[in-house]
Amino acid sequence: MKLAVPRRHRSIALAYLLLLVLVVVGRIVASGFLGVDHIDELIDEGALIGFVALGQGFVILAGGVDLSIPWVVTSAGILVTTFTGTNSSNMLWDVPLIIGLAAVVGLINGIGVVFLGVTPIIMTLGMSTVVEGALLLYTNGSAGGNVPHPAVFLATHKIGQVPVMGLAWLVLIVVVTFTLSCTPFGRRLYAVGLNRRVALFSGVDVKLVTCSVYVISSCAAAFAGIALAGYVGQSYLGMGDPYLFTSIAAVAIGGASILGGTGNYIGTVAGALTLSVLNALLPTLGFQPAVLDIVYGMVILVAVAAASLGGRARTD
Amino acid sequence: MSRQANESGILSARGVSKSFGGVAALHDVSFDVLPGEIHALVGENGAGKSTLVKIIAGALSPDAGEVLFKGDPFKPSDPGAAAEAGIGIVFQELPLIPDLTVAENVFFDRQPLTRVRTVARRRLRAECVEAFERFSLTGIDPEAQVRDLSVASRQLVAILKALAADPSLLVLDEATAALGPSEVTWLLEQVRAAAEAGVAVIYISHRLAEIADICQRLTVLRNGESVGSWRNGELESEELVRAILGRRLGQLYPGIPPTVKPKVMLETKGLRAGRRLRNLDLQVKEGEILGIAGLEGQGQLELILSLYGMLTSHGSIFVDGVEHRINSPRDALRAGIGLALVPEDRKTEGLLPTLTIRENLALPVLHRVSHLGYISSQKEAELVGPTIHRLNIGRQDPSQLAGDLSGGNQQKVVVGKFLISGARVLLLYDLTRGVDVGAKAEMFLTLNELAAEGYSMLFYSSDVTELVNVAHRIVVMFDGLVCADLLNDGSLDEEMIVAHMLNAADRTGVVGSLVR
Ligand SMILES: Nc1ncnc2c1ncn2[C@@H]1O[C@H](COP(=O)(O)OP(=O)(O)OP(=O)(O)O)[C@@H](O)[C@H]1O
Ligand SMILES: [Mg+2]
Repeated sequence: MKLAVPRRHRSIALAYLLLLVLVVVGRIVASGFLGVDHIDELIDEGALIGFVALGQGFVILAGGVDLSIPWVVTSAGILVTTFTGTNSSNMLWDVPLIIGLAAVVGLINGIGVVFLGVTPIIMTLGMSTVVEGALLLYTNGSAGGNVPHPAVFLATHKIGQVPVMGLAWLVLIVVVTFTLSCTPFGRRLYAVGLNRRVALFSGVDVKLVTCSVYVISSCAAAFAGIALAGYVGQSYLGMGDPYLFTSIAAVAIGGASILGGTGNYIGTVAGALTLSVLNALLPTLGFQPAVLDIVYGMVILVAVAAASLGGRARTD
Repeated sequence: MSRQANESGILSARGVSKSFGGVAALHDVSFDVLPGEIHALVGENGAGKSTLVKIIAGALSPDAGEVLFKGDPFKPSDPGAAAEAGIGIVFQELPLIPDLTVAENVFFDRQPLTRVRTVARRRLRAECVEAFERFSLTGIDPEAQVRDLSVASRQLVAILKALAADPSLLVLDEATAALGPSEVTWLLEQVRAAAEAGVAVIYISHRLAEIADICQRLTVLRNGESVGSWRNGELESEELVRAILGRRLGQLYPGIPPTVKPKVMLETKGLRAGRRLRNLDLQVKEGEILGIAGLEGQGQLELILSLYGMLTSHGSIFVDGVEHRINSPRDALRAGIGLALVPEDRKTEGLLPTLTIRENLALPVLHRVSHLGYISSQKEAELVGPTIHRLNIGRQDPSQLAGDLSGGNQQKVVVGKFLISGARVLLLYDLTRGVDVGAKAEMFLTLNELAAEGYSMLFYSSDVTELVNVAHRIVVMFDGLVCADLLNDGSLDEEMIVAHMLNAADRTGVVGSLVR
């Protein structure tokens, strides 16, 4: 039997199927699930996951992983409240500055991985600790301040029926999908993730590509941090913590190989929405939030197992 | 089929069929291998030879038909089970484990154990040394990690692994593709000795001279179907080629074209790299095909790699009179040097098997097919299409996954990449390894056309016959230096070149890497 979906998109189709099943289950078991308000909430939370998973997806695609995302998210959230505060006009300067700082963090990650040969897990974990320390010094251990209005607008307002954050996400989805599937950078990125030696032989600047995914990841995390501050209306230390595993899990559910080289953002979007639906569904079913952690853990383990099993089947 | 007919065959295939996603790789194939017989299996790239081997090994199961081993239906669950039943197989893709030592690989499924069931290291080593002696193989350290070995040495290890298990059926899938002349001689001797001891051998190779030399019978596969089985010598070589290709082949070697111009396109002065390349001076002229000969590991690979920026080198490299610093493949491509290296393991190093042929071919030239920052599929198709036609890759479908191609067709993709890369100096490293006669003939024609268009080529091949028939000039390398520079004006033959290769070794008394 032949499926109409090409082989490489099959796992992405599967991710959407999973999402559909969850939604249907939700409709059946929980009343009020997927009401109009509820949908907005699901989209907003999905978008936040989608932002961090965007960056994580680039890094994973190149065969690495970025563990520094949570503290970059937290830093961006805290900086935007303490720095900018209620003075919205500062946003114009502060947002590029915050994202620029994040880019520096990403660049250091990339340089460590590419030029010093540190493994991605160690490098980004180390960098995460550095960022955490710097942030604690800066805040003296207590964060505060007010969220500037534009961030609140982005995260909570609607244009007509449509949440602004959903629109922003849509724009990013289009841009990222285009970048991955239609640009030389995207093609080279897949090549690097599949096999860096072949990519190198083919004249791809492997170092540049690898470096840039870490920069993209940090920038996306910073953007997510700003949006998150707007969404929860405040900032606090550790606000980015949940986004480490969600970012990896969204990518994995979305059908990307955790070992790099396959998957695309359309799949990750399904992964992010799935997690956001799970997030909402589990409490209504009477599960504790801790169950969600178990689910994340399982998802990642299953994804890694599937990736290595799939890899083995291929070489046979 | 009556049972009677199989009595004598140690292995019989009966109406074996196998398809992959609707494409038939094997259709109703039957043949018998007798005990003590060397039975050659020949056919084009993609004819289904390796698929048949994988079915015998139990790595694939047939859609229809069956395999009989020693008269009984044989369905091993995996290659391990086949090995246990007495079938020793050297697969085309060399499934050795790079992180283990030679000894650990050779005895992978039969490690000698101590009483507490750990590996008995000393005994393992001793047994491996014994195996080396028994099959008179020298020059490889049993304690070396397989990842550090050259392709040829890995191939020898894989062969030793199969031989050392004392199989009653030995299957060699293109085992000589990566071997140099002296190593091929060694292998043929071992195969003959095994056959004399009653071992049946299935021998797969694209080198028809070898086939004529060694086998008693041969079976030809074409497009997954058996064309027939013959006794060796029953077919003239032209008839054999026709059976393989299904058409006549004018000639394998198109002759060496008079295309050499005086201009020097590539020059190295005092090139040094790694431990193997010491002080190499070389000149390649416009339109010239310069053959590189030498025993395994005399710096040929290092020369190619340093010219392509994969290996840090010292000394100077001039392309078209201009000195270039080449520190990466990007630098090389920019200086106008292209590389068609057929790497050790095509599947994992030569191309990206999960991408399409088109995506693989376009990878080095993405900047040329993109427009306003995105890849124009039309430009991509225009650039890639002619190359796919020219090399006659697979079903000529650019959107086919490279990993689904047969071995030889994958090779063509690797080669195709440089044809469109726009380089003027082409480094060709073991270009024709594992490529069928038809494709070889096409490739040599292509090389001649390229020479006529003014391309300069550095052509390394482990097959000396090929060098003599293709190159304008041949340099013999030994110990990182050029030890002979021979103009191929019709007076050269294989023996003379091999003599040069061996002479240098004898003179210096270094015969370490030589298989005797
Ligand atoms: N796993 C697979 N999936 C899809 N098609 C396959 C697969 N393996 C082999 N094929 C196809 O089956 C056919 C036979 O391949 P096979 O590797 O047996 O050829 P071969 O005779 O060994 O060629 P070569 O001389 O190039 O090694 C080819 O058309 C190949 O593309
Ligand atoms: Mg084969």
